[in-house]
Amino acid sequence: MRTSEVMKRPVVTMAGEDVAQIKDIVYASGGGAVGGFTLAGRGLFAGPLKVGLAWRFVAALGADAVMISDDSVLQPIAEVLAESASTGGSGGDVLGSQVLTDAGTDLGKVVDIVLQVGDTQGGQCDVVGYEVEASEALGSKGTRVLIPLPDTLAASGEHLMVPARAKDFVAQDLAGFGAAILAFRAQLEGTP
Amino acid sequence: MQWWAWLVIIVLVGALLVGGVLALQSRRRRGRVIVDPVRPPSQHGGGDRT
Repeated sequence: MRTSEVMKRPVVTMAGEDVAQIKDIVYASGGGAVGGFTLAGRGLFAGPLKVGLAWRFVAALGADAVMISDDSVLQPIAEVLAESASTGGSGGDVLGSQVLTDAGTDLGKVVDIVLQVGDTQGGQCDVVGYEVEASEALGSKGTRVLIPLPDTLAASGEHLMVPARAKDFVAQDLAGFGAAILAFRAQLEGTP
Repeated sequence: MQWWAWLVIIVLVGALLVGGVLALQSRRRRGRVIVDPVRPPSQHGGGDRT
């Protein structure tokens, strides 16, 4: 699923109480996985909340709601960010960042992020790909394409680095993207 | 000035205010994907990012 589909999704307790909605997605820098979410209140005039939701407390990330056991799992934002922070983090927004290969080729600008949730409860929410507005290097300038990512990927705010071989596994839509990710990662693992 | 001119001005100002508030609110609630978040300062250290 795309992060744009997760944003604004309501956070609902198992008792059926609608406590917040997803605002920001916090992407842990070191491991290529979602670390948590910042939240906004429900309703048109509600602003950002001072509490956030760490990924480990998410019971389910469903198509229509993010389920939690109860509102006691919500933590101060500082704690949620601290769990995903690295030393000297930039705190940048991935959306709009430039994707560069390790060979220095610009692949385009990120317009969305593709997530994959583990099958088991408590599994990771992996960041598996970037949806980018393609540059000339991809041969389809201006179109939106999906670029697979390695299993773990260091990321910082301004430029996002991907292996040059990712260019060969670009997909046009989510339907074929799962297979592209597997093939890309298999090729990376097969390389000494 | 005619009374209706005042009415038009009041309606326009009201519409601008409502539009501004809605735009501001939309900006406050806009989602981001934050990578490598800045470690919040420690309670005692003031500005420590480690």
